[in-house]
Amino acid sequence: MLDALIGSALYEFKDIRGSWYKLLLLTLVPLSLAIVIISIFGGGVVHKMPIVLVDNDHSKLSRLFATHLDASPTMDISYRVTSAKEGIALVQSTKAYGLIIIPNGFEKGVMLHLQPQITAMLNTQYILIGKIITSDLTSIGMKSAAEIDYVQSLAHTQNSTASLATVAPIGIQITPFFNTYKNYFYFLVSALIPAIWQILIVITMLIAIGGMTKERRLGEFFKDRRYTLAKLIGLALPYTLIYTLWGIIFLLYLYSQWSFQGSFTVLIFALFLTVIAYQSVALLLFVTGFDYARSLSLGAVYTAPAFAFLGITFPIYSMNDFALAWRDILPLSHYLQIQISQANYGADIWLESGRLMILASFLVVLIPVVIRFKSYLSKEVL
Amino acid sequence: MKFIEVLDAELKGIFGDLAIVLTILGGVILYSFLYPQPYAKQSVSALATSIVDYDKSDLSRDIIFSLDATPQIEITRRDFSEMDAKDALTRGEIKAIIVIPKDFKRDVTLQKSPTIAVGADSSYFLIYGGVLEGAMKSILTQGVKVKVASLLKRQVPIVSAKVEYQSFSLKSINLFNPNNSYTQYVVPAVFVLILQQTMLIGLGIFGGGINEKLKQNRVESYLLDTPIWVIYLARFIIFGVIFFIHMLFYFGFSFHYFEISRLAEVGDLLTLGVAFIFSVFSLGIFLGTLFNTREIATPAILLSSLPLVFSAGFVWPLEALPSWIIALSMLVPSTPAIQGFLGLNQMGAEFSAIISHYTLLWIQGVIYLSLALLIGAKRREYTISHTHHHS
Repeated sequence: MLDALIGSALYEFKDIRGSWYKLLLLTLVPLSLAIVIISIFGGGVVHKMPIVLVDNDHSKLSRLFATHLDASPTMDISYRVTSAKEGIALVQSTKAYGLIIIPNGFEKGVMLHLQPQITAMLNTQYILIGKIITSDLTSIGMKSAAEIDYVQSLAHTQNSTASLATVAPIGIQITPFFNTYKNYFYFLVSALIPAIWQILIVITMLIAIGGMTKERRLGEFFKDRRYTLAKLIGLALPYTLIYTLWGIIFLLYLYSQWSFQGSFTVLIFALFLTVIAYQSVALLLFVTGFDYARSLSLGAVYTAPAFAFLGITFPIYSMNDFALAWRDILPLSHYLQIQISQANYGADIWLESGRLMILASFLVVLIPVVIRFKSYLSKEVL
Repeated sequence: MKFIEVLDAELKGIFGDLAIVLTILGGVILYSFLYPQPYAKQSVSALATSIVDYDKSDLSRDIIFSLDATPQIEITRRDFSEMDAKDALTRGEIKAIIVIPKDFKRDVTLQKSPTIAVGADSSYFLIYGGVLEGAMKSILTQGVKVKVASLLKRQVPIVSAKVEYQSFSLKSINLFNPNNSYTQYVVPAVFVLILQQTMLIGLGIFGGGINEKLKQNRVESYLLDTPIWVIYLARFIIFGVIFFIHMLFYFGFSFHYFEISRLAEVGDLLTLGVAFIFSVFSLGIFLGTLFNTREIATPAILLSSLPLVFSAGFVWPLEALPSWIIALSMLVPSTPAIQGFLGLNQMGAEFSAIISHYTLLWIQGVIYLSLALLIGAKRREYTISHTHHHS
């Protein structure tokens, strides 16, 4: 049986060496996809987004506020216009992400304690960008208001510590656990690259088995019709090893930059289980019809929407039952929970064993795969 | 051969291939249901939060009460120490921790500005934003109350005390997508990409299959003796009609069903839609001329999906992208199409505001179509002379 496994692994390895297509899918394709994703989020921070300023006051105070805005890390006053309408048009054509309107009589209002209002209109169609600007704007608003407050209350009390406290009676200290907030690089890249690679893993498995069917090599491969499972594992093995290796390189890259609390061994074991889980599901998709092109279409439906279901950009606890069920049938969602909990919390192995078991349970699909293969091989003239 | 016969032969070829049918009919409908599912509940529910109250004063209780009343936060645990709370976080029982320090009330009274610590699981950035937003608002409100109270103590009249808590206010208005809906954020853009990718895969499988049969010398005769442009015209009519209907289904029914705004004028939307379909079709037949087998299309196009989504500018701003990524993404119709459709339909822009995207779609279409005509003809010529040579 082991001979059958090793024999078919060597057979496929030889085929890979002779195929540009398979070689690319194992080397340059995963590498360049990772490079593209890493480059997209390269900086990890949103920097100097263009905004529009409508200053209807033209006062010392309105200019002070504008200076604060322009000095913020996320905003850049790229346009100054005279009406909100012009500003909105700039936002609609995505030349800017929002407009800030300082009303006429702003300075006078502040002096007379009338509490004038500055209006910020933000493009919240782009939620992420909108959120970043909103939070920065809130803090600039508070800072500028406090600055003015401070000067005014100083005149009242002549005690600088106490007046500072009246300006901000309660402070808020924000602690991002695991120290990654504001850097979207880690958030997105740590999930996006696995999400692309799972597509790749399923596709190459289908190419390996589908190509063999198309080229009518199945008969040759399953010569004596024995050890079907061992031969299928052997066929998958070169891909299993190479993609696991890519995964390890990726994790080393990722956690050489970001802190990692847990066990690398557990994570690599989870990675390996994920790769073979996906390969097993790919085989299941293939045996639905033993048709190469059609199984690729099924693989597309299964793997392409995965990223949305991972709970990285949208929290799991806000998903409906269907989404949760779909999420459960994707090995990647279980893997990613392990990756996050190992990296961030260093969760115990016993806590992780449940998730590892779930990943391992995907291998159950190999039972129908073997049954279908056996009956296919016995019926078909290959 | 009559045009109608070419059309008939193309129809037979396309609908005779289950992999193509599965993609351009089954896939398009399935995806329209599948993709919006994660966001179907629309809003983000309240976060399970633990409170560590070292102060246990009436003021800290007030703050806890107002925190619990904010929609983003639900206090499900009270822990005696930060350690206990962190353990619960590791076990996934809670997603955020708020710590009120010892002597909090005393420090507020002494005007020492004590600090409340707010921590959230930043592994999921939306969670983080939710807690932060909720906690900030509620603590700031409490802060204002304390400040007004202290001003009153100093015998400042109540009216001016209330006004004086801040010298000016800042009001944020959500332009477009007023409810911060995730569906509205993701789905309209992803739908454009789905339309593109399914059409490209369909045309790619078909084109690759033809090349395969050309090589094996078992291709249908109309593909050898009809002018290339006639064949492409027939194919354009078939794919164009199918995807035009898909587009109406997506932008009409699906948007209505998932409660996504439709601000665009129908005429504007269809004008952009026609340019989009033409551009994608041209890219599709161009790719089809390059593929040697039926099976290359799905992997090649599928693997490009996520990079295309994230370089289209709606998740991650274009200003933050390296220029070579922007340049590459401009080669693909989905980039200008997503920006154009979002502008018209989600932000209510005038057509003139998106005219550059519209123009780019036509330019792409013309270039890819010319390339397809050129390569398609060359490839056929080569194969014919090659097979003749052998026979």
